[in-house]
Amino acid sequence: MSNASFSPGTYVLLAGTKRGLFIFTSPDRENWTNQGQTLKGTRVFNAALDTRGEPRMYATDNGAFFGNFLRYSDDFGETWQEPEQGIQFPEDSGRKLENLWVIEPGRPSEPETVYAGVDPASLWVSHDRGQTWEMNQDLENHPSRDRWNPGNGGLCLHSIVLDHSNDDRMWIGISAVGCMRTDDGGKTWKHANKNTRAGFQPDIYPEFGQCIHRVVQHPTEPDVLYQQNHCGVYKTANGGDDWEDIQTNLPSEFGFPIALDRNNPETLFTIVEDGYPRQNFSPGFTVYRTKDAGGHWDDLRDGLPQGEGVALGVLRHGMCSDESDPCGVYVGTNTGQIFASTDAGDNWSMIADYLPSVFSVRVTQL
Amino acid sequence: MQGVTVWLPPALRGRAGNRKSTMVEAGTVREVIEALEQAYPGLDFNIRYETGELRRYVNIFLDGENVRYLQELDTPVPPGATVHILHSVAGGQI
Repeated sequence: MSNASFSPGTYVLLAGTKRGLFIFTSPDRENWTNQGQTLKGTRVFNAALDTRGEPRMYATDNGAFFGNFLRYSDDFGETWQEPEQGIQFPEDSGRKLENLWVIEPGRPSEPETVYAGVDPASLWVSHDRGQTWEMNQDLENHPSRDRWNPGNGGLCLHSIVLDHSNDDRMWIGISAVGCMRTDDGGKTWKHANKNTRAGFQPDIYPEFGQCIHRVVQHPTEPDVLYQQNHCGVYKTANGGDDWEDIQTNLPSEFGFPIALDRNNPETLFTIVEDGYPRQNFSPGFTVYRTKDAGGHWDDLRDGLPQGEGVALGVLRHGMCSDESDPCGVYVGTNTGQIFASTDAGDNWSMIADYLPSVFSVRVTQL
Repeated sequence: MQGVTVWLPPALRGRAGNRKSTMVEAGTVREVIEALEQAYPGLDFNIRYETGELRRYVNIFLDGENVRYLQELDTPVPPGATVHILHSVAGGQI
């Protein structure tokens, strides 16, 4: 299938699952077409459609047996290519690539650049649209590194936020290390976790060791970021120098994803869960929304499955929003459904079912 | 040197021009992998980690014997031998 098959304005939703990548398209966000499954059988933690030039799709192919490969496709998933020099640790590093977690196309000002985060925690960058990759050595050699501990999902670098206002600034999220920031284009990194909790440690406010789950940046106030953490929901107004708790009336501190409405950036969405079963609170699945940056959270349930038998979860990359107004919100579940809203969460409908467990959703408008 | 016949699992045949098997010249299992990499670049990373260790769920059988219970990658490969590369069963876990 060629990119030319789709008109400008088409919404493309990539759903990475336990058994491959599914591609959905819609001209209007109401009617969705499943364009099919690609990379069948592999665990696709994350995928991205890079539209900064000729569209190129990237996917993290985590094979069950024969290794992990970042792949790219220029024909909408019909065929996939491997980089000339892929993501592999140097032989003498002693490290083994466990999983590829996230792929992040670079800023508009760096159109050939793409970033990737992996387990064991390291940041990789390509300056030729994914053909060759190099590891960020300064993060690799960070003086605190020997005290980093993995979470249950591994020592994974799962979130990359590129400052839209400053090409030298970037945030990354590592579980269970926390948020880290560079102010010099990746030459040095510092921990950025002040006032975020690590409730599973004796010292619940350590310098690092927090289990950050997802972080997003405000679209017009670059020092403002929001994160969903293992232990709370937080906002920073100073680029991560410190954070304030915005859990307020949410029923749990534990959740994985967070997303925002780019046209109303005090509006955030999260999905907190019953912490130990890692599923929605009974009786039914709920997305939570704030319209005042965490001052108060509303329960959103219209169109989402309700009842005592509903037990599902959503992972860190399992929710995203589009850039339209009103905002579209998309949620992929570990029970294989994708729910979508075209009115910033007021109403929801199921746009896909019977998928393998969903790891990630990401929407792009062509 | 008499060649060694290497049978590839379905998941790796695409990298080898959709061949089910191929012939290499090698004196050890490690050299079998190196010869495969020479013929089909990238195949080594499917079989071994960056460290050179055999991947956890990849098994190599030399004339029917799992090399993990022989001398692993240092296992000598006699002329005319047959090598099977297979993945482990993983029912439900993966």
